Amino acid sequence: MTSNFLLKLLGLSWKSLQANAFRSFLTTLGIMIGTTTIIIVVALGEGAKRDIEAQYSNMSVTTILVNAPATGGEASKLSVDDIPPVKTIATVADAVPMLTGKVNVSTNDATTNFSVVGTYPEFMRVANLTLVGGEFFNQEDEDNHTKVAVLGATVAEELYGIRDPKVIGEMVTLGKKEFEIIGVADYKGGAFGPVTIDESVFTPYSSSYRYVLGKNGKFSFNVNATSVEVLPATMDDLTQVLRESHNIGPGGTEDFRLRDMGATVASAQSSSQTMALLLGSVGFIVLLVGGIGIMNIMYVTVSERTKEIGIRKAIGAKDVYILTQFLFEAFILTLVGFFVGAVIAVGIYYLLLSFDLKIIFVWWSIPLSFIITFTVGMFFGYAPAKKAASLDPIDALRYE
Amino acid sequence: MATLIISLEKITKSYYIKEEEFPVLKGINFDIKKGEFVALMGPSGSGKSTLLNIIGALDKPTGGNYHIQSKLVSDLSSDELADIRNRYIGFIFQNFNLIPTISALENVALPSFYAGALDYDRAKELLTMVGLADRLNNRPNELSGGQRQRVSIARSLINSPEFILADEPTGNLDSKTGKEIMDLILSLKKKYGKTILMVTHDPHLAQITDRIIYLKDGKITDKKSI
Repeated sequence: MTSNFLLKLLGLSWKSLQANAFRSFLTTLGIMIGTTTIIIVVALGEGAKRDIEAQYSNMSVTTILVNAPATGGEASKLSVDDIPPVKTIATVADAVPMLTGKVNVSTNDATTNFSVVGTYPEFMRVANLTLVGGEFFNQEDEDNHTKVAVLGATVAEELYGIRDPKVIGEMVTLGKKEFEIIGVADYKGGAFGPVTIDESVFTPYSSSYRYVLGKNGKFSFNVNATSVEVLPATMDDLTQVLRESHNIGPGGTEDFRLRDMGATVASAQSSSQTMALLLGSVGFIVLLVGGIGIMNIMYVTVSERTKEIGIRKAIGAKDVYILTQFLFEAFILTLVGFFVGAVIAVGIYYLLLSFDLKIIFVWWSIPLSFIITFTVGMFFGYAPAKKAASLDPIDALRYE
Repeated sequence: MATLIISLEKITKSYYIKEEEFPVLKGINFDIKKGEFVALMGPSGSGKSTLLNIIGALDKPTGGNYHIQSKLVSDLSSDELADIRNRYIGFIFQNFNLIPTISALENVALPSFYAGALDYDRAKELLTMVGLADRLNNRPNELSGGQRQRVSIARSLINSPEFILADEPTGNLDSKTGKEIMDLILSLKKKYGKTILMVTHDPHLAQITDRIIYLKDGKITDKKSI
C-alpha cells in the first residue's frame, strides 16, 4: 500500500466518522476525559513534589531535629545545656538551638503576631539565610543578651510595608521588650525545623530566653552530621549523650525525640508519589473504559455497515484495506479524543493556576498520555476492525 | 477462434452439514468467448446463485477448474480473488449495491481506488456515458432506481474488466426502466464489445442475448427440460 493510498483510506475513515459526528463525539469522550485526567494528575503530582521539596529545601539530608516528645514534653529536660555535650560528638558538624514562641510584635504604627526565634549566630549559616541589609547577630550579642533582632521578610513587610534596609536601627517591641532591628532577611520560603523562616523574628538565644519567651518558649535544636553515611551512628551517639546528661537509666523513657530529616523528606516524597500513582491509575482506568467504549461502538458500526463492507469486498477491497479503514477510524477517534483532552487539560491547568493551586505542567505528560491513549485505542479498535475485515463477502452482501 | 474469457471445467460445489455432503453443482462445463452476451437461466434451487458466486470469484469451487482468460481462478487465495473481482469482473447487482454514504461519482470511482489508481476523470466519463452527467454528486438515495442501476453499470466498467456479471439487473425495476437498462447493457456489447454474463428469470430478456445456458439441479441442461 502506497502512502497516497493510505492517505485516501484515512479520508474514507474520516468521512464515515463525520457521517455520524455526534456518535463519534460520544465515543471519544472517554478517551478525552482519560487524557485530561492523566495530564492534570501528572501536573498535580509534580506540583506536590515541588511543594514538598520547597518545604524541606532548607533542610539538609544530614539534619537531625531534636525536640521534646509531643506527650510529656513539659517534663523534658531538653535545654540549651545539651548543646555543649552534643558538640563533643565527633560526627556532629553543627548544633543550633531554637527557642520559639508566638508573641506580639509591634512598632509605633503596627502590631502583629509572629514567632520569635532565639538561636545562635550559626543559624544564619546553617539555615542558609541571606540578608537584604544589616547583619546577623554575633557571639558577643549572645554572650551579652543584647536586645537585637533580625526580621524575616514577611515580618518586615507586614510591619513596615517594605522589606528594606531603611528599617535597620528602628525599634521593635517583642512581647514587652524593645529590640533594635539590626538586619532584614531576604525571602527564603519553606521551613527550618519548627521555624517558618519568612515569618519569624530572630534574636540571640540568651536574649529571647531572658526577655521574651522564658520558660514558655518551645525548645528544640538542629544537629547536622558531617555526612549522610554517619547519620545513623550520629543518631545513636546523640541518644547516648542525651540519655546520660538527662540521667535516664537503662529502660527509662526518653524525654526527647530525634527526627532524621532525610527520612522525613523521603517519606513525604514517597507519599506524594503514591498519591500521583493512585490518581494516575484512575486516569488509566478512565482511558481503559474509554477504549472499551470505542470497541463497543465500533462493533455496532461494523454490524451496521456489514452490507457496505460486502460491497467494498465484492468490488475488490482486500481484507487488509477493510482492516486498515476501520483501524484508521479507531485511530482518528483516539487522536481527536487525545487532542481535545489535551486542550481541555491545558484549560483546566490554567484554571487551577488561577486558584493558586500548586500545579506544575510537565511536558512529558503529553507524550505519555498520547502513548497510553494510542495503545488503548488501537488495542480496542483492532478486534472490531478484524471482524469487519474477515466478513465473508457473500454473507455480507446478502445482509439487509 | 475468438479468445475464451470464461472457461469452466467440471466445476463442482458441495456444502457439508455435519459431515454430510450436499452437492449443489455437479460438474459444470461451459465457455464464454470474448464479446459474447450470454444469459444464465434456471429455477430457484438450481444452484444458480452458487455458480454465480464462483464465476464472480466470491466463492471457490469444491472441484474443477475455472479460468478467466488463461488465469486459473479456482486455486487463488482470498486476497488474490479480491484482485480478480477488482480487475477482471464488473458487477451489476439486482439491488444495485451502491454505498449509501458517498456520491455517485465516488461510488463509480471506488473500484479504481482499490486498484490503486483512483480515477475520477474516467468515472465522470462513464457517468456521462450512462446519462448521469448532471448527477455526479448525488448520493444513491437521491437517485431513482433506474439511475442507481446506471451508476452501478458505470462502476462495473471503471477498471475495464474482462467481463461483466449482471445478476438480474432489471429485477428491481419497472418494465419501462428495465427496458432502458437492458438497452444500455446491450449497448455495452454492441458499442464496446464487452463480454457479458447475465442471470435472469425473464425469458424475453434472455431472448436478446446470443446464447442461453440453462441450469437445473446443479447441471447444465437443454432448454426443453426447464
